[in-house]
This record gives sequence, structure tokens and C-alpha cells, in this order.
Amino acid sequence: MSLRSDLKTWLEENLTGEFECLRWRGGPGDEDAYPELRQKWEQKLGVAGWIGVGLPEAFGGRGADLMEIVAFNEEYARQGGPGRAGHIGETLVAPTIIAFGSSEQQQRFLPNILNGTDFWCQGYSEPNAGSDLSNIKTKARLVNVDGQAEPSWVIDGQKIWTSLAHESDWIFVIARAVEGSKGRDGLVFLLVPLDQPGVEVRPIRQISGSSEFNEVYFSEAITASSNCLGEAGDGWKIAMALLGFERGTSTLGQQMMFRNELNEVIELANKNGASRDLELASRIAKAHAGLEIMRFNALRMLEGTQDGSLSNEAMISKIYWATWHRDLGELAMEVMGRSSEVLQDDAFNRLQKLFLFSRADTIYAGTNEIQRNIIAERALMMPREPRGND
Amino acid sequence: MAYPFNEDHEMIREAARGWLLDWHDGGKALERVSVSGVGVDLDAWAKFAGEQGFAGIAIEEAYGGAGLGALGRSVVMEEMGYALFSSPFFSTCCLAADLLTHFASEAVKKVYLPKIAAGEISVGVAYEGLSKYNETITGLSPYVLDAGHCDYVLACVASDNKFELYLVPSSHEGLVVTQLNTLDRSRNLCGVEFNQLALKDADYCGASDVVLFDQVLRIAQASLASEAIGGAQKCLDLVLDYTDQRVQFGRKISSYQAIKHRCADIFVDLQTSRSSAYMAANIADTSNLGQAHEAALIAIAWANDMYFKTAGETIQLHGGIGFTWDYPLHYYFKRARANRTLFITPQQAYIQLASVIGLDTGINIEAQSHGASQLVGGQI
Repeated sequence: MSLRSDLKTWLEENLTGEFECLRWRGGPGDEDAYPELRQKWEQKLGVAGWIGVGLPEAFGGRGADLMEIVAFNEEYARQGGPGRAGHIGETLVAPTIIAFGSSEQQQRFLPNILNGTDFWCQGYSEPNAGSDLSNIKTKARLVNVDGQAEPSWVIDGQKIWTSLAHESDWIFVIARAVEGSKGRDGLVFLLVPLDQPGVEVRPIRQISGSSEFNEVYFSEAITASSNCLGEAGDGWKIAMALLGFERGTSTLGQQMMFRNELNEVIELANKNGASRDLELASRIAKAHAGLEIMRFNALRMLEGTQDGSLSNEAMISKIYWATWHRDLGELAMEVMGRSSEVLQDDAFNRLQKLFLFSRADTIYAGTNEIQRNIIAERALMMPREPRGND
Repeated sequence: MAYPFNEDHEMIREAARGWLLDWHDGGKALERVSVSGVGVDLDAWAKFAGEQGFAGIAIEEAYGGAGLGALGRSVVMEEMGYALFSSPFFSTCCLAADLLTHFASEAVKKVYLPKIAAGEISVGVAYEGLSKYNETITGLSPYVLDAGHCDYVLACVASDNKFELYLVPSSHEGLVVTQLNTLDRSRNLCGVEFNQLALKDADYCGASDVVLFDQVLRIAQASLASEAIGGAQKCLDLVLDYTDQRVQFGRKISSYQAIKHRCADIFVDLQTSRSSAYMAANIADTSNLGQAHEAALIAIAWANDMYFKTAGETIQLHGGIGFTWDYPLHYYFKRARANRTLFITPQQAYIQLASVIGLDTGINIEAQSHGASQLVGGQI
């Protein structure tokens, strides 16, 4: 039996009953759908061993290769599997802890990611550190706390654009650990529990009206010294490796869900007659072509990313899927025609959500402009951008 | 080894690249072919096809080929595209070989495929404008690649709702071949008039219904997507070299974001086109005709759009030098332009693809594919 057919059978038997309403829900742009039930669903996936199929067996995964991971995600999306509430832990934190964590850290954090009980978010961007990520100002200092044997990290500062912080248990944070250090030096990569007095999460109301993103404030927030990945000073290296995972296989699940959205556009076009507008028909055909290419891109490019490093070809992955998805949102509205303007029952339908939320795709996880710099400088070896502080 | 290729493919790529770079000779070969006026380098072709053995790359081993399929062929097409090699490879080893492989009788295949594989014969394909009249072939096929020098013309003659395929020696007096003076001088394009050529003088190969014929033609056409990625890679290499040397306002122009971001966009287009071309070839080798046809339409539309856009962009990024005859970019620009309308256009491919993926466009698919076969050349 293949991973694909095992998963198909399992979903048919388990995506039922109380979970039935999750089918086709919670994908990109629809992440505010049934947040609690989707976390419960993660636990069901975890018990059945469906979280982290691409991780090595020694760390609790199934050691699936790239072809199998693509097939797994494709089948999950095809069966209407709900958007994965735990994808940040599974696809970003787990491989990073495997690559850089101590065996104690691996034993402590991996099981709760793989059984779907710990949910994670990403503390990278700050108000003045967006594209220029190394300009972060959040500070971390190691201090002795009364009554504790080990010193603790104390964190002060602010993170922003933190996806799903309001539904998470842990946040990984890059912070400045060396007083007076600048840029990439002196940073530390910390794993910080969110449920504590020193952390405040404030949702950001977005273009879509919903709030996937948050501001996270740290005022003397605390985490144990054993929750530091690598050494103080390794922060930038680890942060970049994690971004490699983010630009690599981590978004495969999301990409495979694009197929469902495109199918919805095709169905609608046939129903409302937009398919007979040859300009729209050929744009839909082009979207289909682009999606087939996206799948083949993954097979060609994303192999061998266990350490987060990417081939030159793979550097196109993020800008390509983000731009494709944003274009699909625009196309969906044109296919809807006049009705695109109208809300039913005071709520956006899936395609309206897609249109609005996909504006974020070309901004988060490295804007299209930053992606072009990365491609030009690392894949094409063109000169690096001048820095104001060079 | 990057998916979907294996070591055989990489060996072929190395060998083809090395040989073709020698031929290319820093662009001198392009000018030589252009001046010759015949749009082909027959001496080089004889060596490449025969001595080097590239003509048989995709042909099954049972017929004397290397059996590396469409994927192997895409590697060779890509390298030929990079060097802008002027040869009848596409006509003979893609169009004719695929039509014969799918539709010819076993006896015909046994005679002709080994000769194609050995580089002993070249074949131009005439698939529009021909009909049967009183046991003769008659009509004008206005755009036939390589008819001006090839040994045979494969005449695809419309008859009821099918095509009948006949091989005719190109020297036959019933054929009038007129070479066309073309924008892209790296190619031999001809009008071929069949002047009541008696059927008994032609070698009957087999027949196909129009839908299958159209599908096979598209799959063969998709190998031009590989030519496109080779050509576009060359354009990108040239622009990366040039912008790294050209200094303005005291800086290499490659350090300006206006240049970097456009090169990055070219790289994205080029890599996605690679995927489209490799996917089409891979599916042609491993799936049924319907799926291969769909993937072919994707590659045709995507890679042809990319090649023309890339060639145009790289001329712009070179500034004045890109506009000169002495700099090789214009050869690629003209080839990219020609490929858009030589067969179905990217836009036509998308409209066909719309039907294939289940969009109700209101256009009858059978009539459409028949129409496409009848109206190739972008004359619609």
C-alpha cells in the first residue's frame, strides 16, 4: 500500500462525524474557520501518524521522500482535508529542531508537534524589521531568577505579522542577545511559551476583516535557558535555515489546496457562462497550466532540503506560487462577474476570501521584491544591494 | 541527478552541448547560415545526425534508435536551441518520426524509422491544404519546414474525417517546392505544391482520424518548448555577461535593481518553462495520448510566450548593442517570434486547453482540433 492510498482510506473513515464540517475548510484565506475543531483534528492526524511524514523515522516521522510528500499533500487536498492548523510546527519548527536542537530539545518538543498538541507561531518581523529582517531590536538577556537553579532568558520588544499567534502555545523568536550588536551578529533563536504574563497578543484586523496576523508584545517575558536553539550568536544562521524550509517543502500542502480553489472557479465559470468568454476561458486555462507547472516545479526543485538549503532553481518557488495565487484571486472575481461585489449573509464566500487574503501571499515570507533580490544575488550571482550602513 | 532525468540523459546533454558549442563558434555559425540563404547547415547535420548519432535519440531500439523517448529528445532539442543549430532535426526526428511511429504500418516503420535513426534520410512534413483527387494528391501546403533540402516529404492528405499519410521523394516532378524568404533566416521554410501527384508514385504509410492526428502533432510540436528553453537560457547568459561588464554612473549595471529584478523575472519564467517542457516530455513517455496532449498544450503555450518575451527583454537590457546585427541576440529573437505562429499559437493552445480541462467554451472540440490542423501557420 502506498502512503497515498493509506491516507485516502484513512480520511474516508475519519473525516466524518464531528469533523465532517471541516471538509474543504480552513485553507489559505479561510484560516478563521473552526479553529478549535481544527486543532482537535490535528490530534487525530497525530495519533494516526500523519503529522511529519517527511521527517526521518528516527525522529518520529515516516521518512517519506519528496515524491511521496507531494502525493500525500495532493491526496489530502483532493479529499477535502482541512487546512493544517499545525503546519508551522510540523514544517518549520520540527526540521529546524532536528537540524540545530540538542537531543534533549528534540525529545522535549518533537513529540508534541507530532501528536498535534503544541501549536507554534513565528516571531521574526518587527515594525522596523520587515524586508530588512536583521534590523531586529527585540532584546534577550540571560538572568538568574530567584529560586531557580538555571538562569532564564528575559525578552523585551515587539513582533508583528505573527500568523496564528492567538491560537498558538509557543513562539520561536529571534532576538538581540549581545548589547550593541548590529545586523546578523549577536542574535539568539529562542523557543518561548506564549501563555505567560510577559506576553501579550493583539490581533491585527486585515484587509479581509479577519485576523490571522497579530502583534506580539514581550515585556520581561521569560523562557528557560534550555529553550535556546544553538548558541547565543547562532540566531541568524538558524533563522535563515528555517526560511529555507519555508521557501521549500513547507508550503506544499498549501499549494496542493490551490487545486480545489481552481476547481471551484472552473465549476462556477461553467455554471454562470463565464467559460464562454474566451478571454476568461484562456486565463483559466493558463491558471491550470501554471498549477500543473507548480507541481512539477516541486518535483524538480525541492529535493534535498533537509538542512534548509535550496538549489538555485528552488529560489523561484515562493514568488511563483504567491504570484500565481494572487492572480487566481483576481481571476476568481472576474469569473464571478457582478455577483463578486455582493456578500451573502454578511459574509465573504470562499472566492471573495481568496481574492482578499491572497494579497498577503506576495508580501509575507519575503515580499516578491525580496524574492527577486534573492534570485538575482544567489541564483544569478549578480551584485548585492548596497546597504545604508555599508 | 535532478528529476526527471537520469545519467543517460546527462551524458547525452554533455555530448550534445560540447559538439554544438563547437559548431556555434561564438555565433559565427549563425551568420554563416544566414548568409547561405538556405536556412540549414547540411554538412553539420550529417555529422550530428549520423556520426554523433543524435537523430535516433527518441526512436525505439527496435527501429535502430536509442530509445530515450521524448525526454531524451527534449535534452537534444534544448541544446540545439541554445546553439540555434540549423538542422532538419525537428521536422525529421520529431514531426515525421512521431507521425510514422503512431500511424504507419509495421512494414513502413521497419523501412523508414531505421533510416531516420541513422541520419540517412530527412523528412519534411506537409499536413495542410492537401486532398485526394482522381487517385492523385493535390493542393498547396504553404508552410513546410525543411522541404527545400530534405529527401522526402511526408504528405498528410485530408480524406473524409481522417488523414492519410504518404511518403514522397522530394525530387518527384509532381512536387513544386518554393523556398520562402523568411524573417528567421536560421530555418528552411517552403511552400510545397502537389500538382496531381499520382498516388501510385507515393508510398502509403497509414491513416489516422483527425483528433488523434492533431494530438500527435501537438506532442511533437511540444519539443519546440525545449528549443525555447535552450534559446532563452542563451539570451539570459548573454545578458548576465553583458550587464556584468557594462559600467554606467560608475557602477556595473548588473548592480541596479532595475536590471536585477528583470533578470530574476526572466529566471522565474525560464525555470517554469523548463518544468513545462520536461513535464510534457515525461508525460509523453509515461502516459496516454490524452494526457500527453494536455501537457503538450501547456508547454507550447507557456514556453513560446516565455521565449519571445525573454528574447525581447534581453535586447532591451543590452541597450543599443542588442539592436545590432553583429550581436547574436536578433537570431534568437527572430526564432522565438517564428515559433509562436509556426503551428498553433499560445493563445490557441490555451483555448484548446480550456476545453480539455472541462470548460464549456461553446466551441466543439473535434471541429476545433480539425480546424487547428487545417489552419496551422497562424493564418487564422
